[in-house]
Amino acid sequence: MKAVVADNLSKIYSGSKKAINRISLTLEQGEIFGFLGPNGAGKTTTIKLLNGMLSPSEGSCRVFDVDPAASPEMVHGMSGVITERAQMYDHLTGLQNLLLFGALFGISKQDSRQRAQELLSMLDLNDAGNKKLGTYSTGMRQRLSLARAMIHKPSILFLDEPTSGLDPESAKRVNQLIWQLARQDGTTVFLCTHQLRYAEEICTCYGLVDQGELLNKGDLNQLRASLSTGLTVTVKADRPPKDMEYTKTGDLLYQLHVSSEQEVAEIARRIVDSGTKLYHISARQLTLEEIYFALIEQRRREGGQQDEYHADSTDQKGYSQHHIQ
Amino acid sequence: MNTMQTALIRKDIHSITSNKRLFPVLVIVPLIMTVFIPSIFLLTIVLSPVGTDDFQSMVALLPESMQQGDIKEMVISLMLNNIIPLFFLLIPIMAASVMAASSFVGEKEKQTLETLLYCPMTLRQIFQAKILASFLLSMSVSLLSFLVMTIVVELELWFLMGTLILPSINWLIMIVLVSPGASMIAITLIVQGSAKAQTIEESQQRSVFLILPVFLLVVGQFSGLLLINVWILLGLGVILAALALLLLKKSFRGFHYELLLK
Repeated sequence: MKAVVADNLSKIYSGSKKAINRISLTLEQGEIFGFLGPNGAGKTTTIKLLNGMLSPSEGSCRVFDVDPAASPEMVHGMSGVITERAQMYDHLTGLQNLLLFGALFGISKQDSRQRAQELLSMLDLNDAGNKKLGTYSTGMRQRLSLARAMIHKPSILFLDEPTSGLDPESAKRVNQLIWQLARQDGTTVFLCTHQLRYAEEICTCYGLVDQGELLNKGDLNQLRASLSTGLTVTVKADRPPKDMEYTKTGDLLYQLHVSSEQEVAEIARRIVDSGTKLYHISARQLTLEEIYFALIEQRRREGGQQDEYHADSTDQKGYSQHHIQ
Repeated sequence: MNTMQTALIRKDIHSITSNKRLFPVLVIVPLIMTVFIPSIFLLTIVLSPVGTDDFQSMVALLPESMQQGDIKEMVISLMLNNIIPLFFLLIPIMAASVMAASSFVGEKEKQTLETLLYCPMTLRQIFQAKILASFLLSMSVSLLSFLVMTIVVELELWFLMGTLILPSINWLIMIVLVSPGASMIAITLIVQGSAKAQTIEESQQRSVFLILPVFLLVVGQFSGLLLINVWILLGLGVILAALALLLLKKSFRGFHYELLLK
């Protein structure tokens, strides 16, 4: 049985443009799937569709072979969800909150107490467990949300920006915990984020989404292979190599994208043959971030002929936003 | 009711009784309606001279069958069994409104509703539990208020006049039929508005529509326009209960997650 199957899933909110457009993807059990894209790309909408909070405008989806639009409560029994707008009760302590949600998920008092204690100590919230949620910091809240989402040992976790608003240290810790918890119980994770570096640390496969469209999916190698430029070459030389596309990244530093190591040798040969001094040359594989931007770039170029894209603004996270005119 | 719903009902009731802003409202308003106002009435009647025109004209409002015996006792009985029950009606309406608004719109305001919707209960089960929680709280507040009022008023009567005037059958109809009906109507009105309302205050305004007719009834009592008796009260109770059931049935319809999470 597949953990998640989405087939041509589309959602149009009343009157506005398509929030997500014909997304198809399949997730195996136990996978940690990174669903990556800028704010407003349609990540939260997808999570809501997969949990039956929204009904699809077109297409369909299944979570562990259950249709969330038809029986959302069955999907909820199997899934743990963290979204920015799914908070807990400030007037209860951390432990009371966990026990409450244990009861709301139909777990016996004894079992949920044991599970809650276990999760609290794993998430480093032992002392905070008896303090009211109202006194928690953002990082602690986020960790408690993670505990809440895992109280009923879900088969799949839907995490919407679990590290947003956290300082780097807490973000790293939450990230490690997701990995650890998922590995321990073999939980499938559907992780939505725009923090590509954190995603790269734990995800086993990815889906890159922009403006409601799935740009590409697969593991890192598959994503790299889908691009003609699989390697990033850094060159330090007096002059850049002739007749090649490059970006200047610093004093005497140039960056080039190539697809094979053969081409790295070719770059070195051209520089040396032209009588320029070559101080340094190195090649490394594309990072997730580079792949992401390359794909967005590619889409813009392809879509440019039909839609006219403008990359005219950059949001606070540093990713370009594109507007269809 | 399954265990998940029971847990939700407990949570809802606990969150209102532990709320430092809302709980005092649930205590003070009933105390005013059932202890303060009756005591003032009682003292005024007891301490006024018997022969005043006001008393005569009030008693004249009563049907002839009731116009016998001590004039003060008659006025007290009129107050206790015809006027106070209408003030009392405000208690279930108020309690139900405060509780339902906090339970439905309050969750939305505090962004806890979405978390609740991710629990393995159907939307209908969640709504059932929440409506029942509001209803239970409102009924408990009403019953307790009635008990406190009866004790206080009877004690006052005993010490001031050396006699007891027991609550009439009006009160039974009030507690068994009218106040549950009014309370349920208040809840369903708020539940229906909860999809649109973004703040607790906004949703509580709806219950004003219920309080207005109650005031008209109170005015009716004083002016003698419409004196409630067992039959009028019974009729009112049946209409309210029927309306409540109708609204309750309707309130489940047309709700889906998308509407609630807007």
